[in-house]
Amino acid sequence: MDMLIAPERLELAEAVRDYLAGTHGPEVLRRLDAGPNRDPAIWQGLVDMGLPGLLVPETHGGLGMGLLDAALIARECGRVCLAEPLVESAFVATPWLIAQGQTANLAAVVAGEYRPVAAHAINGWVADGEGESVASIDPLRRLAAPVEAQSDDPLLLDLGALMSAAQLVGLAEAMLDQAVEYAKIRTQFGQPVGAFQAIKHKLADVSVALEFARPVLWRAAQALDDGAESAALHVSHAKLVATDAAYLSAESAIQVHGAMGYTYEVDLHFWMKRAWALGGAWGSRAFHLARIDAAVIGAAHPIGPENTFA
Amino acid sequence: MHLAYTPQQQAFRAEVRAWLAANVPPAPLLTLECEEGYHQHVGWERQLASGNWGMVTWPEAYGGRGLDLIEWLIFEEEYWGAGAPLRVNQNGIFLLGPTIMEYGTPEQKERFLTPMAAGEKIWAQAWSEPGAGSDMAAIKTTAFRDGDHYVINGQKTWSSRASFADWGFGLFRTEEGSQRHKGLSFILFDLDTPGVTRRPIRQLHGHPGFAELFFDDVRVPVENRLAGEGEGWNVAMATAGFERGLMLRSPGRFQAAARRLVELFRQHEHAAAPSAREAVARAWMDAQAYAYNTYAVAAKIMAGGKIGAEASLNKIFWSELDRTMHRTAMQLLGAAAELRHLADGSINEWLEGYMFSLSGPIYAGSNEIQRNITAERLLGLPRVGAG
Ligand SMILES: Cc1cc2nc3c(=O)[nH]c(=O)nc-3n(C[C@H](O)[C@H](O)[C@H](O)COP(=O)(O)OP(=O)(O)OC[C@H]3O[C@@H](n4cnc5c(N)ncnc54)[C@H](O)[C@@H]3O)c2cc1C
Repeated sequence: MDMLIAPERLELAEAVRDYLAGTHGPEVLRRLDAGPNRDPAIWQGLVDMGLPGLLVPETHGGLGMGLLDAALIARECGRVCLAEPLVESAFVATPWLIAQGQTANLAAVVAGEYRPVAAHAINGWVADGEGESVASIDPLRRLAAPVEAQSDDPLLLDLGALMSAAQLVGLAEAMLDQAVEYAKIRTQFGQPVGAFQAIKHKLADVSVALEFARPVLWRAAQALDDGAESAALHVSHAKLVATDAAYLSAESAIQVHGAMGYTYEVDLHFWMKRAWALGGAWGSRAFHLARIDAAVIGAAHPIGPENTFA
Repeated sequence: MHLAYTPQQQAFRAEVRAWLAANVPPAPLLTLECEEGYHQHVGWERQLASGNWGMVTWPEAYGGRGLDLIEWLIFEEEYWGAGAPLRVNQNGIFLLGPTIMEYGTPEQKERFLTPMAAGEKIWAQAWSEPGAGSDMAAIKTTAFRDGDHYVINGQKTWSSRASFADWGFGLFRTEEGSQRHKGLSFILFDLDTPGVTRRPIRQLHGHPGFAELFFDDVRVPVENRLAGEGEGWNVAMATAGFERGLMLRSPGRFQAAARRLVELFRQHEHAAAPSAREAVARAWMDAQAYAYNTYAVAAKIMAGGKIGAEASLNKIFWSELDRTMHRTAMQLLGAAAELRHLADGSINEWLEGYMFSLSGPIYAGSNEIQRNITAERLLGLPRVGAG
């Protein structure tokens, strides 16, 4: 039994973090918002790191990694509020196609030339799909009415929910960082607002929520990767706590920023809106809570201390 | 990351389970906060020790089994799953014990650890004073040197177990005129030493779960000091780290409570508020999250890492989880919530537990203090101004 993510296993996600931190700062979000929302050069950078093929088996030219690795990287995508559809295409649609034995186009996936989209009935839209565009409050999201058949496969839903949870954790972490930085530099009453205890405690609460959301996320990713019978329960758990942490972080961050936070000029809004989007995508709160309710209260799943990893 | 127990871990779980099944008292003991219940719990500690179950991670030389933290977690899971009694020995085994292992001399280890694991000596913590609660550096009680003894004068308060316990440990001002964190030493003392007066304090539930301690020229040998003279603050911070961090509240306790809450909900489902349903599901979720985090921290420590200020996040999380679970139960119980005994004659454990859960956010460093630590040490927010 080992809940620790081995340091070697974090290396790729750390490399992605460094790369995105250097190339995908908030100025990129502003530029994309003012223009066409997508940038082939950014996508190519992700392709060069091998990320579209992360979950593609090595026999098909991919990196052959697992869902935990993908979740670690999806979190980094959330951190920088990545606009390119890497997560939905490479970490949701691609593994689902592979699970169904649809391996014909994997070389094109790895090369970044084909980006599969995943249409699930629970959403009612498709991210980066071909159909008629649907407006989202998130200026960098490209939603489309589904033109393809919408699946109701629970595996697809679980992949979408898990990867949304991972991005939500990254989004929440980034919003907390922004709030902390702002609280250090904004002074009122002759001191940084971050020295006021009301501000400190608000941000400490976000830290608590994140500290106890992360291990739930990793556990869910591993369970889904292992094909554990209880994986859906753990994915729902992760989606709920990640959504709650992201909303809490967003509301705390805007409060700490004061009126600045309410403007379109401060970048916080990009992260906040992505959090609202992903919080509702791939199963609402009610949907995921109902799955937990059925397992825990409905006695479908063994609970109690001896069943920590059931 | 590997989410399966090894065959050895499974075998260990089975061994623990079998021992507990044969030994856990069939009827709950009286509360350890009352005199009779205290002695029942001491008896239970000795029974645990007779099977070498007192503290499984300790070296065999001190009465442990030399096991690792994952095995400790397995033990705890089985322990709470079996509904075994609260640990009256916790100040010793979870707090002072690890501190002695880190700072004690070989003689001190020999002298204190073995009787501790055996449940022969029960310990009380004595940090707080009437004027030094959250602000522990305001400690005034003095222990001035007189030859090979310290002479203690002053007062401690809210010392858990001290109404009945054998020994105490705490911080005392050993340097005359010293201020704040300086000049404090960590001293162990026999609670029956002449000059020590205990005044039990009744807690919410009516039992004397803690006590005031008055020191009147109490002579304690110098060899009862842990670590160097004047180094007490740092030693105490290590003890506090154990308290907030991994040891004091293992996840099994909350997972067992969450399971009982689910059972309670099923009984009261017809009359439950819709919000109770979510609160019950949430109790399971949060207890699980706490368990995953603890397993991760245990693995980190086993890989040579340390817990730092994150211990504060832990303390906030478990104490508020505990209070929320018990509040949910109180609300489910409705008109029965106030009853000290339920219809079947059993003690209303939810009420007792709710009262106790209200102290979680206060003791071991209040949650406001933990939030200050989180903001300042983990997030790097400025220390100027309040807090
Ligand atoms: C059940 C129980 C068992 C205990 N057992 C022991 C024991 O065994 N040994 C022992 O030594 N002590 C023990 N204590 C005492 C405990 O350590 C103190 O209660 C605790 O440190 C808080 O101190 P206080 O009660 O004086 O509260 P105060 O320090 O007076 O605080 C009152 C309120 O003010 C808040 N506050 C204080 N300072 C700040 C600040 N800087 N920023 C924001 N808010 C602040 C606190 O959070 C609290 O809400 C126990 C307490 C309880 C309830």
